[in-house]
Parts: sequence; structure tokens; C-alpha cells
Amino acid sequence: MNATTAVLLKDLRLLWRQRSGWLSAATFAAISVLTYSFALDLATGEVKPLLPGVLWVTFLFAGIIASGRSFAAEAEQGTLDALLVAPAPRSAIYGAKLISNLIALLLIEVAVLVMATILFNTALLSAELIAIMVLGTLGYVSLTTLLSTLGSRVRSREVLIPVLALPLLTPLLIAAVRATGGALDLPTGGEAWLPLLAVFTAWSALGSVLLFPFVAEQ
Amino acid sequence: MSARTQPADAASRGTAARLVLAALRPVVAVYGARWTLLPPLTGAAMLAMLVGAVIVAPREAIEGEVQRIFYIHVPSAIAAYLCFSVVFAASVALLWTRNLRFDAVARAAAGVGVLFTALTLATGAIWGKPIWGVWWAWDARLTTTLVLLLIYSGYLLARSLSDRGDVQAARYAAVFAIIGFIDIPIINLSVHWWRTLHPDPIVTRLPGDMALPTSMLVVLMLGMAAIMLLALWLMALRSEVEQIGVRGDDLRGEIDRREAQRSGAG
Repeated sequence: MNATTAVLLKDLRLLWRQRSGWLSAATFAAISVLTYSFALDLATGEVKPLLPGVLWVTFLFAGIIASGRSFAAEAEQGTLDALLVAPAPRSAIYGAKLISNLIALLLIEVAVLVMATILFNTALLSAELIAIMVLGTLGYVSLTTLLSTLGSRVRSREVLIPVLALPLLTPLLIAAVRATGGALDLPTGGEAWLPLLAVFTAWSALGSVLLFPFVAEQ
Repeated sequence: MSARTQPADAASRGTAARLVLAALRPVVAVYGARWTLLPPLTGAAMLAMLVGAVIVAPREAIEGEVQRIFYIHVPSAIAAYLCFSVVFAASVALLWTRNLRFDAVARAAAGVGVLFTALTLATGAIWGKPIWGVWWAWDARLTTTLVLLLIYSGYLLARSLSDRGDVQAARYAAVFAIIGFIDIPIINLSVHWWRTLHPDPIVTRLPGDMALPTSMLVVLMLGMAAIMLLALWLMALRSEVEQIGVRGDDLRGEIDRREAQRSGAG
């Protein structure tokens, strides 16, 4: 078994053992969609145009909660130091964390889609929507995983990570909301939102892999 | 063969190095004289800009007096981008060299950049109220500027919540600044597709169909010079202060260490 697989297996095991972390993000996402549902239902009868925004804001906040502490436990328990001297490439340390975060978030998001299908009475589990969701999730998780390396010496990091991440994710939010709107037959302005989303995702994944070694150095 | 060409190579390299040094000498001289040059030059240029914008420049036919804010609005926006480019360059230099001096420069430039971004947004809102009828609209340029303000405020917040001499926090902030800077074109494209209301730039068109009268262009150039000098002066001041702060922290740590040593010995 080579070092890259070992690191990946370690992160998948952590995903299972520390499930309380991302399960609380899942609970948050469920409460958030429920709250949106009845708050917006009071305000307007036509909720469908609001749905893409509701979904993506929920995904982004749940994503930051679920991935914001990715490296916190590693740093506190000294695993990160061990990982950095291990013969695994830095990109594998980052990539394994990214994959485990991605799995947790896709599970949360599918659950949210099922809930929203019921609450908003709109069919949401289409192949097109799932594809947009996977692409957008990869885009934001790669950035939030990188930003979660913020050391434990920095005070109020729980507040800081969303403050840092959300402005950077502006293009992703716009493109993903518009592309989702397109999948739901809402007007999109006719721009190439899906390619823009793909470009942003490629950019954030590549940039994070290249810059991760600089923040992971001890 | 190689033995014969090597001295010539070394000599030409020596000449090249000497040429570069000679070319850099005026830059170094100007940098050394920054505290004597920048204050009077900035003061004079600011005065000239005010006189130009309020008295000399003609009254704009459609927009009226409120258009005069343009002579400070446009240079402020460009100065903000200048500052953010300095943050980017200093962050790359920090990751490259590990010299914390570049962190001080990046922090200084980010602070000044946030100041000019806020100034751009404020002057834009003052202009927008009479012309558009609203202080704020979700237009592409306004949104990009606001997102820039948020990104670099976040940078300053992250940096101020950690110790000045914390190398790891400095590297983290540098990585964030690099990502933020490279993000700007994508933010720009996405919000542009989203919606646009802002007037197109009228200065950067080809000289043939220049839309700005010469007198207005001259005042704008004065404003540009004044604001750029102000930005440079503020950045120089701030990075000096940040570096003195780091040195102060080091000295205080050294004093604590020696006192602990002495009390341990006594």
C-alpha cells in the first residue's frame, strides 16, 4: 500500500469516526431549508424562483461548517506534523481531505434536495441538477478545505473562515444559482453559466493544490 | 573552447549587472529620499487637484456640478488596484523568500487599498444618488468593488487576529491574498454577466474618439498624480510603522527572556 492510498484511507476512516462534525452540518442544512420554506411561504406564493438561491446559500454555509475544521483536529493532535514528514506528497494530504469533505457534503446535499423536493413541491433530483451540484460543490470545497488550514493560533477562526471564504466564492454562487435556475426552467439571462462554473471549479481546485504546500509548512 | 568563452561571458555578465545597478541607482536614490520628496509633492499635487476639480474644470453639461467628484473617484479606484497589486507581489515575495518584511509591506498596502476602495464606494454613492436616483445598485463594477473591499478587509482581519511575528499566519494570509487577487478577473466576469449599469470608461478609448475634453483630462491626470502619490506615501508610512512594530515586539521578547534569565540566575 503506498503512502497516498494510506492517507486517503486515513481520511475516510476519520470521516466515519468523526461523523458528529458533518452530521451537525447536515442538521444545520435541514433546519436552514425548513426555515427558508416557511419564512418564504409567508412572503410569497411563488417560491420556485427563490429555490436556486435558497439551495446554494444552504450548501455554502453547510459546506463551511462541515469543512471548516478539516485540519483543526490534525493540528491539535499533532497528526499534521507526522503527515508532513511522511513520504506522501503534499497534494495527497490535501487531496485526501478534499475527497472526504466532498463525500460528506454530497451526502448532505442529496438529503437537502430530497427535503426541498417535498417542502417546495418541485422535482429536484434530475441528472442535470446533480451534475451542477457536484461541480459547484467541488469548487467551493476545494477553497474551504484550503482555508481550513488556518492555524489554531489565530483567534476566532470559526468566524474568520466564512468571512474569508464567502467573498472569494461570489462567482461560484452567481454561476451555480443561475445554472440551477436554468435546470428548473427559470430565466437565466442566456449566459454560459455552466462553463463559468466549470472554469471557477478548475481554478479553485488547481490553485488550492498548488498553494497548499505553502500553508501546510511548519 | 569553453575556457576561452567563459571570461567573455563573465565579463558580459559583469557588464549587465553593472548596467542594472546603474539603472537602479536613481530608483534607490528616490526611495532613500522618500520622506523628503513624498510629503511636499503629495501636498502640492492634492492642492492642484482640488483647484483643478473645483475651479478650473468646466461644468459638465448633463450631470452638472456633481460630475466633479469623478476627479477623485476614478483615481481612487485605480489607486486601490495599485495597492492590491502591491499586496499580491509582496505576498508572492513572502512565500518565496520567507522574509517577514514583505508581510509588513503586504499588510500596509492592504490597509491603504481598503481605504481607497471605501473612498471609491463612498464617492460613487454620492454621485449615484443624484444621477441614478439611488445610493447603491447591484451593478457589476459596484459589486466587484464591494467584493474587493470584503476580501481585503478579511485579509486585514485575519492578519490582525494573529501575532505580528507569526510566520505561519503570515504565510496563510499571503496564500489568501494571492487567491483573492487571481479571483478578481473571474469575479469581474461573473458580475458583468449578471448585470451592468455603470457608465463605460471614457478615458481609455483610442485617442481618435476620446470622449473627454482636454481640460477635463488634464484635471483628471492631476488627480491621478495626487492620489497615486498619496497612496505611495501612505503605503511607505504604514509599512515603516509595521516594521517598527515587529522590531518592537522582538525587543520586548528579548527583554522578557533576559529578565527571566537573570531572575533564574539570582
